[in-house]
Amino acid sequence: MQQQAIITVKDLRTYFYSDKRCNKVLNGISFELYKGRTLCVVGESGCGKSVTASSIMQLLPKLSRIESGSITYHAPDGDIRIDLLERNGKEMRSLRGADIAMIFQDPMTALNPVYTIGYQIGENLKYHTTLDKDARRARTLELLTQMGISTPEKRIDQYPHEFSGGMRQRAMIAMAMSCNPKVLIADEPTTALDVTIQAQIFELMEKLKTEHDTAVMLITHDMGVVSELADDVAVMYMGNIVERGSVKEVLKHPAHPYTSALLRSIPVLHKGKNQNLQPIRGSTPDPYDRPKGCQFGPRCDFFCEKCNEMPPESPVCEGHSVRCWNADQVYGSAVKAGSESER
Amino acid sequence: MRNTLQYVLKKLLLMIPMVLVITFLIYWGLDLTPGDPISYMFSPDQLANIDPQKLAEMRELYGLNDPFFIRYLKWLWQLLQGNFGYSITNGVAIKDLLAQLFPATLELSLAALLISTVLGSVLGILSALKKGSVGDNLLTVAGMIGVSIPQFFFGMVCIVVFALNLGWLPIGGRTAPGMTGALAHLKFLILPASVLGISLTAGVMRYARSSMLDTMNKDYIKTARAKGLPEWRVNLVHGFRVSLTPVVVLIGFRLPTLIGGSVVIETIFQWPGIGNAFKTAVTGQNYPLVMMIALFSVLAVLMASFLVDILTAILDPRVKLE
Repeated sequence: MQQQAIITVKDLRTYFYSDKRCNKVLNGISFELYKGRTLCVVGESGCGKSVTASSIMQLLPKLSRIESGSITYHAPDGDIRIDLLERNGKEMRSLRGADIAMIFQDPMTALNPVYTIGYQIGENLKYHTTLDKDARRARTLELLTQMGISTPEKRIDQYPHEFSGGMRQRAMIAMAMSCNPKVLIADEPTTALDVTIQAQIFELMEKLKTEHDTAVMLITHDMGVVSELADDVAVMYMGNIVERGSVKEVLKHPAHPYTSALLRSIPVLHKGKNQNLQPIRGSTPDPYDRPKGCQFGPRCDFFCEKCNEMPPESPVCEGHSVRCWNADQVYGSAVKAGSESER
Repeated sequence: MRNTLQYVLKKLLLMIPMVLVITFLIYWGLDLTPGDPISYMFSPDQLANIDPQKLAEMRELYGLNDPFFIRYLKWLWQLLQGNFGYSITNGVAIKDLLAQLFPATLELSLAALLISTVLGSVLGILSALKKGSVGDNLLTVAGMIGVSIPQFFFGMVCIVVFALNLGWLPIGGRTAPGMTGALAHLKFLILPASVLGISLTAGVMRYARSSMLDTMNKDYIKTARAKGLPEWRVNLVHGFRVSLTPVVVLIGFRLPTLIGGSVVIETIFQWPGIGNAFKTAVTGQNYPLVMMIALFSVLAVLMASFLVDILTAILDPRVKLE
């Protein structure tokens, strides 16, 4: 099956500056987002997941910049190099909210408290469509109905504080989907919500993805979500994508020691209390005092001389690549273990 | 809606006991100060030569010999009948006096309020948006100086520079004999209004800046940017609109002091307003006038806090009047 890439990120480096120190938050990451597919980006806090999203949206904080690499948006009428656009320039603004939309982590704080839900959704339409006032209201009502909000006629004129958490996130999604974006970036959209609401929100996103053929980039640290929703997965550690590929491949046969350690540290439902959970030893390094070479080196069981140099991204098999010198060993044991458990 | 009505009624009813207590305290304070209006009416030499019998008669005539509580009740009774009393020093009806003083003070206050609100908000927003820049630092220093310099000093410096040295504007007063037309009148207003306005600007600016900084760090600002809105709309429609509330509260609480008249500015610029009259009335122990001005100030404070409550509820939908 030939996939159509909608966003290509190549060797992206984003650095943050503070007091003459430099935090190399993203240190050369590459990935693609495909039409109608969900890419889950996983990794621990501070590994650069959100910065990746912000880089694509050009919503980085003031004291940071894209140092090198490229972000290309394959628009219907020709490619656009997002990284070369002026941050708040006209072209970037015309992409934001229209072609590329974003949902944030905490719906409690992501909506402006002094405007009605209808106004805030309508604002998006006002700037990206030619609809007049009545048409915008009609479209907003339609969106709210699609998002499964009951009595939208009443809800549209209510303020965010009159909405529950799940409702607010639905409103956020309605806002994001208002212009039928090609790409939807969701930065931990359900972290602030309870589990039953989580499922509903994901169901909604899944439905929208298939209906509109949207490319979804879902940032999460929940492996359950990954196995449930992802088509592709990218595992990040300290500013690198250490492993990426289709979700089946990566979760079944992890080729990077971090991925495999991560999977071993997660409890599995229905396996009972006596699971052998292995936490990853050590702790994340200080971003201002990074280890040489492979960032995971000091915590890795497979550490060797070679690891003092950053390994390049190399393919393991079709659609599965990894940044590790010892990937063959890790991958081999995973495949072996996999085939044993199947037997 | 019914809740709001109940709230308004409750607030208004609560004002009655507050007005009673506060006016009583002011009356009492006035009674405690040494001397009385009679002793102020005559110069000390005259006073020494006047027959004490006559002085006592005069005191009796003005009702100054009653215990102060009785006098307070009498004053209150007259007030409730709509009688504002007469100025002791010149016998003019206080009603007429206030009708003269109030427009002057209102004119000066509104001009100053306009200057400080517009200037303070604009500078505050710019300062917040350009945080850490040279302009921001300059404004911060200017704000500190503005807050620290006493009004009388700033006022006098302005008089020296703009009225005496440059001769651009009149030294003081509200009109000159034979003056007609709003424009000529405006010349008199510029200096006192600017001095009062600028001295109030510093506070508004600091408030607007910190409020704006706080708002611009909120998540919904990022949401607004993610929607692709132009920067002016993010700053003003989403940023400033939210940071407006504390600024409005500040301005609202300043309203009564402005309505009560700025004693310092009105005195320096010889502005024939309430503040100026209040100063003269207090030194002259002209208690009917002092009491009336005090009563209006008290009402202004209470109304202002009431107004602030309502404004906050209008500005922030999360606030409920209950």
